[in-house]
Amino acid sequence: MNARVAKMVRIGMALLSAHWQSVLAYRGTMLVQTVQKIMMPTVLLAAWLSVARKSGTSYEEADYLLYFICIPIVTSLTSCSIMYTLPAQIRDGSLSRDLLKPLHPLWTHVFEHLASNAIMLLYLMPAPLLLGLWFHDRLPAVDMSPRHLTLFLGVFLLAIILRFVMGTLIALAGFWIEHVETLNLVFNAGLWAMLGGMIVPVETFPPTIRVIANALPYRYTLSFPLEVLRGHLPITDLAAGIATGISWTVVLIFLGRVLWLRGLLNWSAYGG
Amino acid sequence: MTSQQSALNADNEPAILTCGLRRSYEIRHKAEGLIASIKGLFKPEFSFIDAVADLDIRIEPGELVGFLGPNGAGKTTTLKMMSGLIAPTKGTVEVLGRNPFRREADFLASISLVMGQKQNLWWDLPPAETLALHREIYDISEPEYRERLKQLVDMLEIGDVLEIQARKLSLGQRMRAELAVALLHRPRILFLDEPTIGLDILMQKKVREFLLEYHARYSPTLLLTSHNMDDVAALCKRVIVINRGYKVYDGNLDRLTALARLDKILTVTFASAPPPGFDPKRLGTLVSAEGGRFCMKIPRDEAPRVAGELYNSGGVIDLTIEEAPLEDALADLFARPAS
Repeated sequence: MNARVAKMVRIGMALLSAHWQSVLAYRGTMLVQTVQKIMMPTVLLAAWLSVARKSGTSYEEADYLLYFICIPIVTSLTSCSIMYTLPAQIRDGSLSRDLLKPLHPLWTHVFEHLASNAIMLLYLMPAPLLLGLWFHDRLPAVDMSPRHLTLFLGVFLLAIILRFVMGTLIALAGFWIEHVETLNLVFNAGLWAMLGGMIVPVETFPPTIRVIANALPYRYTLSFPLEVLRGHLPITDLAAGIATGISWTVVLIFLGRVLWLRGLLNWSAYGG
Repeated sequence: MTSQQSALNADNEPAILTCGLRRSYEIRHKAEGLIASIKGLFKPEFSFIDAVADLDIRIEPGELVGFLGPNGAGKTTTLKMMSGLIAPTKGTVEVLGRNPFRREADFLASISLVMGQKQNLWWDLPPAETLALHREIYDISEPEYRERLKQLVDMLEIGDVLEIQARKLSLGQRMRAELAVALLHRPRILFLDEPTIGLDILMQKKVREFLLEYHARYSPTLLLTSHNMDDVAALCKRVIVINRGYKVYDGNLDRLTALARLDKILTVTFASAPPPGFDPKRLGTLVSAEGGRFCMKIPRDEAPRVAGELYNSGGVIDLTIEEAPLEDALADLFARPAS
């Protein structure tokens, strides 16, 4: 078992190194994506700051500041491109080359995800840091105890895994559907932005919509880690959130495995 | 890895064995026009075609076998089933004693499939990086990796391209680097699907020479598909021919060549008008005629005599003799009556 883990770590490091080198070949693209990731939360921050001043919600100005300054960091580490890369591989047959290696093809996507997101974070960090410094006297006090930070990192890791698994499910539809872009737009972009907390924190949703958001997986990929960081969640909500996030991850991984096996059986490897 | 590999077939058992192998594809039909498209949404029409049908093949370890057939005969589909990329619809396939579609790690570490210009190389990285990555994936020790790499680099003459981005390499350089990547783990079974496609004559020759040398050193079982008769003639004594999914020939290449009556393509260009008495239809089958340039299909044995006759008739400024495309000859062979 130890030898297998050690081998996997070596392969992982080699894949990360290869992906980092590839990603660095597209520095311009990364810069454009960085601007895109920062722009929307900044515009939304400006809008919600004005709302917070006029009407009383559970979020105050300081909470909105913390939330929208941190959003680019969360999205840069949770976003993935497997919905584009894997269906393309299925369509043009280039999945064949990964299927012929003694390494599950999805590992390549996992490490591509980690490599590109880590680089993206490096590009992006200056913006939240500058905003944090600019507004430092207006930000709320965050519990920096090791216990609280560990909890935050735990739910953040859950968000990274869950978002990747959701993206993979959309990607696997590529075995049956020629183009999965629309599917991705609806389930992984539109609903995620609305119910995940991209436009407004889930804690500020009206009660009925909040029930729906709590039951679906989107919240646990974006809003939930930031709610945990803010530190105002009652313990019961915190436990329910963690349990729901883990349950969705397990169920979707199982569904993904079924789709993967069925998809391969159905696949013709055209062009490959 | 070593203990797992011992579970694969021993060297005295068949390397590849198929029995009644069949693969069908579902084809959706749609008639022309908008109304047919709308109708197809509610009542789609499907049919099944057999890309491979009832294929029985037995290949022994270390054999070099050519796998031939016209376009659409089912060659690539068969290779994909043998390498585990797609599942058979019916029948069985065993490679090294394993069901390829299970894609067990030790099985995958024992095979390699080279498909024309399909890439194993990472497009944005130099081949050295892809090779290093494959070293980790195939769990090759550092000294072993160094030794294998040196051998492959020497045999394929790619020492000068290892540190150049793959996308900046010429087609020939890339193909040879692809071969190095595909062979780094010393596969016991090597599937080659059109390995010389798109390469110039010199590079085709280099690739063939390399494959022969590699086979002489390591004796992998090699199954080759190619439309290039020179590839098959240089590498394979045994050939298997399939047509419309069915095996129609399995045996010696020389006998197939005699049966298929491989013609030569003779192209002659006259300085002005052809000499009096020149009748291309008497010499062979006229393929094309344009001004003073005539292209003819000539029976293989007749080619030297006809070429001599044309030279002696005077006025010839150019004359070339080439192999007729293999698939033309095979299509002719299959189109003949069964007798």
